[in-house]
Amino acid sequence: MDLFFGQLQNGVVLGALYALIALGYTMVYGIIQLINFAHGEIFMVGAFGALSVFTWGSLQGTTTWVALPLMLVGAVIASVTTALLAERFAYRPLRNAPRLAPLITAIGLSIVLQELVRTSLPIPGGQQIFDGATRAQPFPQLIGGESIDLGVTSISRINLTIIVVALVCMVALIQFVNRSRTGRAMQATAQDPDTARLMGINVNRIIVTAFLLGAALAAVAGLMHGLRYGNVDNRIGFIAGLKAFTAAVLGGIGNIGGAVLGGFFLGLVETMATTYMPGDFGGGAWKDAWAFVVLVLVLVLRPQGLLGEKVADRA
Amino acid sequence: MTPEMTRVERLDDMIAARVGGRGWLVAVLGAALVAISALLPWTYTDAYPENLTVYFYPAGPQLYVLALSVVALVLLVGERVDVLGRLVRLAVPHGTGGTVRALALGSFLISVGVVLRMIVLLGGSVNVDPGGYLAVVGALLLMIGSRVLPSDDPLPLRAKLPAAVEIAIVGVSMLVMLVLVVRGLALDEQESFSAFAVFAGFLVFAAARAGLIGWVSQLSSRHYGVTVAAAFVVAALFPFTQGGANRYLNVMANVLIFAIVAIGLNIVIGLAGLLDLGYIAFLGVGAYTGALLSGSQFSTVDWVPPFPVVLALGALAAALFGVIIGIPSIRTRGDYLAIVTLGFGEIFRITVNNLGGTGSGPDITNGPNGIPDIPALEFFGWNLGEDLNIFGFELGFFANYYFIELVLLAFVVLVFVRANNSRIGRAWVAIREDETAAAAMGINTFRLKVSAFVLGASLAGLAGVIKAHLSTSVEPTQFQFLESAFLVAAIVLGGMGTVTGVLLGATILRLLPEKLRFIDEYRLLIFGAALILVMRFRPEGLVPSARRAREFHEEEITERLAREQVAGSPVTGSRGGQP
Amino acid sequence: MSATAAPAPAPAAPERAVPVLEAAGVTMRFGGLVAVREVDLVVNEGEIVGLIGPNGAGKTTFFNCLTGLYQPTSGEVRYRGTVLPSVSYKVTDAGVARTFQNIRLFQHMTALENVQVGSHTRTKSGLGSAIARTSNFKREEKGSVDKARELLQFVGLTRAGGTLARNLPYGDQRRLEIARALASDPGLLLLDEPTAGMNERETTDARDLVFAIRDRGLAVVVIEHDMRFIFSLCSRVAVLVQGQKLVEGSPVEVQRDERVVAAYLGEPTGADESDEEVLEVLAAEERARTAEPTPDHDREATP
Repeated sequence: MDLFFGQLQNGVVLGALYALIALGYTMVYGIIQLINFAHGEIFMVGAFGALSVFTWGSLQGTTTWVALPLMLVGAVIASVTTALLAERFAYRPLRNAPRLAPLITAIGLSIVLQELVRTSLPIPGGQQIFDGATRAQPFPQLIGGESIDLGVTSISRINLTIIVVALVCMVALIQFVNRSRTGRAMQATAQDPDTARLMGINVNRIIVTAFLLGAALAAVAGLMHGLRYGNVDNRIGFIAGLKAFTAAVLGGIGNIGGAVLGGFFLGLVETMATTYMPGDFGGGAWKDAWAFVVLVLVLVLRPQGLLGEKVADRA
Repeated sequence: MTPEMTRVERLDDMIAARVGGRGWLVAVLGAALVAISALLPWTYTDAYPENLTVYFYPAGPQLYVLALSVVALVLLVGERVDVLGRLVRLAVPHGTGGTVRALALGSFLISVGVVLRMIVLLGGSVNVDPGGYLAVVGALLLMIGSRVLPSDDPLPLRAKLPAAVEIAIVGVSMLVMLVLVVRGLALDEQESFSAFAVFAGFLVFAAARAGLIGWVSQLSSRHYGVTVAAAFVVAALFPFTQGGANRYLNVMANVLIFAIVAIGLNIVIGLAGLLDLGYIAFLGVGAYTGALLSGSQFSTVDWVPPFPVVLALGALAAALFGVIIGIPSIRTRGDYLAIVTLGFGEIFRITVNNLGGTGSGPDITNGPNGIPDIPALEFFGWNLGEDLNIFGFELGFFANYYFIELVLLAFVVLVFVRANNSRIGRAWVAIREDETAAAAMGINTFRLKVSAFVLGASLAGLAGVIKAHLSTSVEPTQFQFLESAFLVAAIVLGGMGTVTGVLLGATILRLLPEKLRFIDEYRLLIFGAALILVMRFRPEGLVPSARRAREFHEEEITERLAREQVAGSPVTGSRGGQP
Repeated sequence: MSATAAPAPAPAAPERAVPVLEAAGVTMRFGGLVAVREVDLVVNEGEIVGLIGPNGAGKTTFFNCLTGLYQPTSGEVRYRGTVLPSVSYKVTDAGVARTFQNIRLFQHMTALENVQVGSHTRTKSGLGSAIARTSNFKREEKGSVDKARELLQFVGLTRAGGTLARNLPYGDQRRLEIARALASDPGLLLLDEPTAGMNERETTDARDLVFAIRDRGLAVVVIEHDMRFIFSLCSRVAVLVQGQKLVEGSPVEVQRDERVVAAYLGEPTGADESDEEVLEVLAAEERARTAEPTPDHDREATP
């Protein structure tokens, strides 16, 4: 039973991270029908942003209550800047190009970001701080301490933190999209950009907002990832990105609630499958494969996802 | 100047205003200076590769700028002299403006590059002799002066020459290409190679601006069959230029495998329009089939059938996987197809990585270590692991693989071309253009898409079998997503839907990293950046099919036409103050 | 104006009516919107049937239901007695071809290639014979080229074979679409607004073309807004309004029907007879009742 609850926790935490990243995918796709292949790298950049702040700012030994917010700021700045630059210079010029172009650009961007982090993160003084960041870089474990006893099981502080932070972010986003003026404008643009433009909505600004929000959430996820798993490297974005995309599609691409649902679902499936699948097909080696299997199944059998609607092809 | 002009046009206007009619003089002066500088030393030390220290003994980059500037000089002067003028016009159908500008830019980049490299390598500008600086100045003048020359002015179709002459011209162009490639391969130091690469590149670019490339293309399409045969003959000459060394034969053998696979993928992407990001898995299926049936001690299968059987099995296995992966994937829509195939590709990699008997699955593929120690191919008594001796030439044993791959390449290109020019090929294009309309024409779009997918898969399977023997080992890491991305890039950069373009893209992508080892660290970074830039500025690739170029630039063309209508000026015509 | 003073009278329907198309109770629902409601239509051999109605009446949607582009919510479509599956390519294979309202040619292929694609379902060579270049393949290719050329000539595009579809003038593009549709040797041809955007002369040519198609043995259904074209062409006209078939009959009958006129011109307002507007509308109705067919004022200028 302990194993079950332990793995349940792990699944939920993993799901929370996937959900945060998935939101970025879903928002951008909902508005401009672009699979932002490089979004996983935005997540990775956020993690490294937080790590950089910690290292450059020599925050070793500073109290968590000061260090963490600073790291968060660092993460968000890194992710958001990258995302905005990408949107402005890589994606926007290709707004009207055939669909192949932005997809390939996104692949190129993903590779560029991975490599930039690997080769070029500098430190004042001219030395490469990350020494080839393909090797996992240790991430400060700022949230530790005893697990909190919940009676039937106990939950570690870091797990609790992640779940709470993620839920707060998701709720905030949903409120924003449903209640605020900009949020409603985003929904309008997602449904029909041309009409939205006619209604006076600055579509470009909305698109930028979508990228911005997605990046911010991914940054939070990056920071959480580092705190939880203890290390980061330049490749975490690729796999996490694909899985988060799976989650977004699973829930229904373009649907914010769907992204959340899909994220948690995928996290649980992945954790439970590796623990409980019988024989040789359980275990960590097949971990990633399960996510891909889910991806394939969803895209083939129910591409509109759990919460999405079928889009009719009007001739 | 109007606000709608591009930045380059505004710069040209500024130059024209200052330099005016003296542009020609400035250009000639510049070219002359460059030529002279080539005969002067550029440095006094031989620490810089290729001896650039002797008077009247140009070498390496000096030779290159000498060649470029002399050609520019001849074109510039020849134009103004009556008799020569007609000859120049013959040789340079599009007018000298664009050609000279290309030559100028090439000289400039080479001279500046060399001088800067000298400063860095030798530690200080004092190490650069006046010759080097003169080259830079001269090239700069040439560039400025040439900007006021009239623009390209395409002449109507040229008269036909006798067939034999036309074929000879095509053959000569191919031999020139071969020479350039062989020379380029032979240069080992990064400075020499880079200078040569820029030289060769701009030579080709200048020829393109001159209209020569277009002309040769026309000739080759007029004598298509002969051209293709000639291309293979010239390619087969390559091993004979290596003097028995194996190193570059190995490289080129790998390039050929890559090219074969790229053409196979081109059927899927370029013809049927299916973006497959997991194509490398099919190469992997073929490779593992070949490896398992090769008799290697690490193979988990004891059977070692003759080579033709292995080939057939490899293609069959890959085709089977093509059906299994294709049927569900093709049911998905557009972008999703790319992601699904990516997913399948990764599932393949993870599976072969885990089927190693060490607790995560039965031992079929020997897990992460893969299957090393694959013996050389052997069939009909021919052992591909032994050196050859043909017509008295010693050929390293990789030449065997090279030749067999040339045959396979010929086969794959044949399949591509014939599939393209057929009822099925037309149906594929129709599906790509407007799937709904295609279905309304009676085309079973699903079945046709799957057939493209499976055909592409089986061709990759064939290549995989040979690759297993060429690389002598097969491992899961050889089949990661990045490899698929490289293949897609080769097609996109080279030009989708055309054989020449894809071959060019594949060669460049596979060959350059070999030679530019000094940027090995940044290899992937440059690759990613190149993808972004190409999709931004030239999405139809280097050698676009006419169709694709139109598809991508539709907006631009419409915009430009609209602009010109508003401005009231004709669509064609020169700029820069010339009538 | 045009040389013909009055349009040639449409020939009477043949004695023995052999049904080519039988659509029964076709209904198409998009969520809450019912675009087509219980529409029946029978087309006999050698007939040219017109389908008219205001914009948004569901005419094109109906065509899409017939040809398998949409799967009708309910209803049945039979071609020569056999039920048609609601799958696009199978419908064409069975013998029903169509053109589209907003021309859907394969823009980057030549006119000849477009027509060749049209004959896809009547040819057989697959990848195997294409790669091996068997004599069967070569024969079929030549046949396909010859047939395409013949069809291009038939529609009046003899010299346009090598031109890219997108470079053809608008009227030629419409004719190319018809040639492409004919390449599948259909028994029934569905034309969706074939004369949209055409001028007087082109329209007359189009009419003659449709007659020529009929003379080749096909039945034709035409969606159009140009009333003169319809009435001079069709032996029977069906009127679709808001998804339902309002009236069906000979052109003269349909023209005179009050409901049809009302659907196009709108219901008169209020009961105050001194109202100028009302008088105008009544006058228009009177004219429509007694006068000869007049050009349709409602015709939209579609590109």
